[in-house]
Amino acid sequence: MIDLVDYFLTLIVTAMIVNLGLALYGIFFRPSMIKKIIALTILGDTANTFAIILGYRRWPSPKTPSRPPVLVNYTDATPDTLKEFVGRAVDPLPQALVLTAIVIGLAVTLFMVFLTLQIYRAYGTTDMRKIKKLKG
Amino acid sequence: MVDLSGLAYDLTGLTVPLIAIFAFILPLISKIVKNKYFPGIYALIVTLFATLSTTIIFMYLGSTLEHKTYTFRNITFNATISKPIVYGFGGWPPPIGISYEVDGLNSLIGVYIGWIMLLIVLFSLWYNRNLDEPEWYYTLLLGFEAGVLGCLYTGDAFNLFVMIEVLAISSYALIAYHKNNPGSIEAAIKYGILGATATTIYFIGLMIIYGIYGTLNMGHILYKNLQVFGNVMIGEAPPGLVLATTLAVSLALWVFTLKSGLFPNHFWLPDAYSEAPTPISAALAGLSEVIGIYVVIRFLYTVFPAFSPIGYYYRGLILEILLILGFLGGVVGALMMFIQRDLKRLLAYSSISHIGLIFMTLSIGFLALPMKRLDSILVIAFTAVVTHIIAHGLGKTLLFMSSEIFIESSGTKIMDDMRGVGRKYPWVSLAFIAGFLNLMGAIPFIGFFSKLLMYQAFIESGLLLAAIGVIIVSALSVPGYAKAIYAIVFSTPTREYRLVKTSGFKVLIIIIALALLLLGVFYSYIYSMISEYISSSITMGGLFNYERAFHEAFSKLMG
Repeated sequence: MIDLVDYFLTLIVTAMIVNLGLALYGIFFRPSMIKKIIALTILGDTANTFAIILGYRRWPSPKTPSRPPVLVNYTDATPDTLKEFVGRAVDPLPQALVLTAIVIGLAVTLFMVFLTLQIYRAYGTTDMRKIKKLKG
Repeated sequence: MVDLSGLAYDLTGLTVPLIAIFAFILPLISKIVKNKYFPGIYALIVTLFATLSTTIIFMYLGSTLEHKTYTFRNITFNATISKPIVYGFGGWPPPIGISYEVDGLNSLIGVYIGWIMLLIVLFSLWYNRNLDEPEWYYTLLLGFEAGVLGCLYTGDAFNLFVMIEVLAISSYALIAYHKNNPGSIEAAIKYGILGATATTIYFIGLMIIYGIYGTLNMGHILYKNLQVFGNVMIGEAPPGLVLATTLAVSLALWVFTLKSGLFPNHFWLPDAYSEAPTPISAALAGLSEVIGIYVVIRFLYTVFPAFSPIGYYYRGLILEILLILGFLGGVVGALMMFIQRDLKRLLAYSSISHIGLIFMTLSIGFLALPMKRLDSILVIAFTAVVTHIIAHGLGKTLLFMSSEIFIESSGTKIMDDMRGVGRKYPWVSLAFIAGFLNLMGAIPFIGFFSKLLMYQAFIESGLLLAAIGVIIVSALSVPGYAKAIYAIVFSTPTREYRLVKTSGFKVLIIIIALALLLLGVFYSYIYSMISEYISSSITMGGLFNYERAFHEAFSKLMG
């Protein structure tokens, strides 16, 4: 019997590693600027998924399926129930970090798209192989 | 003597957010005030504030320095004690909230950055007539300054990511400022794609660090490193700790070596320098590269020092690789400089060469020597690094300023078409030659003393090959500089050049040239000052200073 939680987590991690490779390939080897930008966003999303997975906690043991962290009656919360609540909740810090990273990623993508537009206006192409005015 | 502690504490938290706020309200104000010079004056005032505040923080750190002698298990050693400023934003104690932490190294580079930024803004004011939309230029320039100072003063690894993105996006946009020039766009897009990839990789590295240590505060990571170090030495580290930390640090280093243009990552740099507006070339050479160097030092000497899991295993390897890459970068930069025809590209390759020298020297910490001896070598080496940063940054700013005069006068960047243009501006040419002599390491200039100290550090540590390497790189770069001086100043003019008005700007250039000379002549005072700051931050005692300040701030804010 396959553990479903384990199965899906393994699937996500595998997909992340494959995505990482694909994104780096896309950034460095695809000639089209637009495809480079798409690969860049895939890279950013992979990093964000990685961060979210780091914050995931399985409670009370890795084998049991986790339940959502909800305080049913918060009026008579004891230290024990609060402890359980904290243990059941996911780590909130990576989510805050990912939120920041997404906003920054948006800014970078927007700027890259603007530059690509200017490149297209100047050269009439977005193929980076044909844009070789500078020697590098 | 006035008490600076409260003021310095407030300014640590205030400077970066204030610059960012002033940057973003500039476009709004310039909708009302239509004067073409207004954004420049506005940026000058904001930058003056930043210069003042970095200087006050620097002076406060200097006033806290004191020598103490400790005896520990029959070994007496001298330590320089400093009291780093830890500013917790929003009143949150350090590991919970974002905090800025300024120690000796930070404040020393901070005062350098404040003053160079002032020169860059003055340069931009002279360059103002080439700017079609000055309000956006100065918004980006102030954003750049906020990013640089944020990267420098931050004590939080994630805040460093945010600030490096602020710095990066403003520098891409500034490189592409002349947006109808295809070359600028191409340079910006090359740098942009690489920089964005590298910062994302840094984010992944950061997440690995968070996964291992459960914290992103630099002082807290250092504290945990010092705690587990004993376990690592007796082989009882948690499984995977060392490998995961090594992976994280290697991933994190890429973006900073890319920013500073270390050898295999240098290819974006000449394009960006030659196509950006000239004040921005100077800013990239003087500030953005320094941030890369600073963060590498911070990561490998404070956050993950020799007394950490990675320090016991792979840190030495990383530093050795940096030493070799630094040497290769120095040689490649020096050789490529000689075959350049474009003046700004020549200056860019000279930057690559100098960054190589700096990376060679900063990697000296891999030596397995007794602690006391290693500390004394580290102080010499890092005094050399900071002196070279100052010499290179000031010299490059001077050279970009004077070459902009020559470029505007001749209307081209190609050196063959600007033969003898310097003869029209004798004072500027004198300063231009002084700048090159400083980069070469000629004797009365400060550049000589930094190279001498590098050499001395390598000789004292027994790395004879590296010491010879410093000499080889210096010698190889001489023909490139000589070529530029000869083409611009000494060869006979072949055509008529336009005379550019340089009244006030000329005085500024001459002052910088004199400063280079005077810093060299009075170097003994500067040496003792810099080495005090360095020995309070890089050495073993410096680690404890950093870590103690973190704990004191924690307990103070927790009440």
